[in-house]
Amino acid sequence: MLMNIGFGHFLVLAAVLFAIGAAGVLLRKNVLIIMMSIELMLNAANLTIITFARMHGDLGGHSFAMVVIAVAAAEVAVGLAIVVAIFRTRRHADVDKLNILKH
Amino acid sequence: MTPRVLPYLLALALTVVVLGVGAAAFAPPAAAQPAPAQVKPLPRSATPAGKDVSDRDVVTKRDAAGQVPATGKPRTSTGTALAFWLFAAITIGGSIFVITRKNLITAVMGMVGTFFGLAALYMLLYAHFLAVIQMLVYAGAIMVLFVFVIMILNKPEDEPYATKGRAGKAVAGLAMAYLIYRLASVLLSVDRNVTAAQLAAPAPTAEGYDWGSTAAVGWNLFNEYLFPFEAVSILLLVAVVGAIAVARPLKDDDGEVLPPGDGGRGAGGA
Repeated sequence: MLMNIGFGHFLVLAAVLFAIGAAGVLLRKNVLIIMMSIELMLNAANLTIITFARMHGDLGGHSFAMVVIAVAAAEVAVGLAIVVAIFRTRRHADVDKLNILKH
Repeated sequence: MTPRVLPYLLALALTVVVLGVGAAAFAPPAAAQPAPAQVKPLPRSATPAGKDVSDRDVVTKRDAAGQVPATGKPRTSTGTALAFWLFAAITIGGSIFVITRKNLITAVMGMVGTFFGLAALYMLLYAHFLAVIQMLVYAGAIMVLFVFVIMILNKPEDEPYATKGRAGKAVAGLAMAYLIYRLASVLLSVDRNVTAAQLAAPAPTAEGYDWGSTAAVGWNLFNEYLFPFEAVSILLLVAVVGAIAVARPLKDDDGEVLPPGDGGRGAGGA
C-alpha cells in the first residue's frame, strides 16, 4: 500500500482535498478564503478526472480538465470582481454580514 | 476548548478520518507482479530514426517498436511512491493551511503549495501538459489575482471561522458528516489491488503521440472537444467583460466617482 501507488491513492487524495475544501467553505467567513476553498474543490475534481483519464486510457479527460481550469479562471475573475465591488461599497468582505437581501 | 484550536482539530480529524478510510480500503501490498504483456516504450535513443526526422515519425516508429513485449524486470515504483507521498503531503498540508490561517497572504501561499503539489501529481499521472497548464494558470494567474485583491482590500480578518448561530453550525456539521459518509462509501468501493498495469507507462495514443503530451491533448481537444473549446473561449470573453463591468468604480450620472463606504445608498437617493 505504501510503496505501490495505484489509481486508488490518487482518488483518495482527491477526496481528502475535496473534503478540506468543503470544510473551508463551511467553516470560514471571509469571502476570499471561501473562494480559495472552492478552488481547492475544483482542483480535487480535476485530479479525479485526470486519474480516470489515465485509468481508462482516454485523453478526453485531459481536455475536460483543461475546460475546468478555464472555467475556474473565469469564476475567479468574476468572483474577485464582485468581492472588490462589495468591499468598495460596504468596507468589509464578511459573508455573514452580507444579508441586505434578507430584509 | 478554545474556539481558536477548533478549526485545526476539525481539519485534522477530517483528514485522519478520510485517510484512515482510504488506507483501510487498500489491501496489503500486492506484490508487483510483472505483466508479461506490458507495453514498455523504448527510450528515444533506441529508435532507428535520425535526429532530423520529424517528431511524429519518430514516435510512430517507437510505437511500432513498443509492441514488442518487454521482458523481465517489472517497473519499480519506489521513486514514484516517494514522489507521490511527498507531493500528497505538500498538497494536503497546503490545503489545510488555506482553511486554517487567519492571515490571507499565508493562506494564498499555502494554496500555491497545493497547486504545486497537484502539478507534480499530474506529472505522476502522465499528464505533462496539464501539469504545465496548472502551474501557468493557477500558480501564475489565479494566485496573482488573489494577491492583488488581498492587497487592495488590505483588511485583517477578525474572526477565523464562522461561529454565528447554533442552527448554522448544526447544518454545517451535518453537511460535513454526509460528505464524509458519501466519500467513505465511494472510497471503500475503489479497486484495492495495485496491478502492474497501473504502474506501467501508458501506451502512446492512436495517432502516435506520447500519452498526455501537448500534441496528444491538442489532437483530442481540437477533434473531439472542439465545441467545448470554443464555448470556453466565449465564456472567458464574457468573464472578462463582466469582471470589468462589476469592478469598475461607481459613478453617478455626471461621471463623478462616488465616495466609497456609504453602502451605495448615495447613488440611490440622487
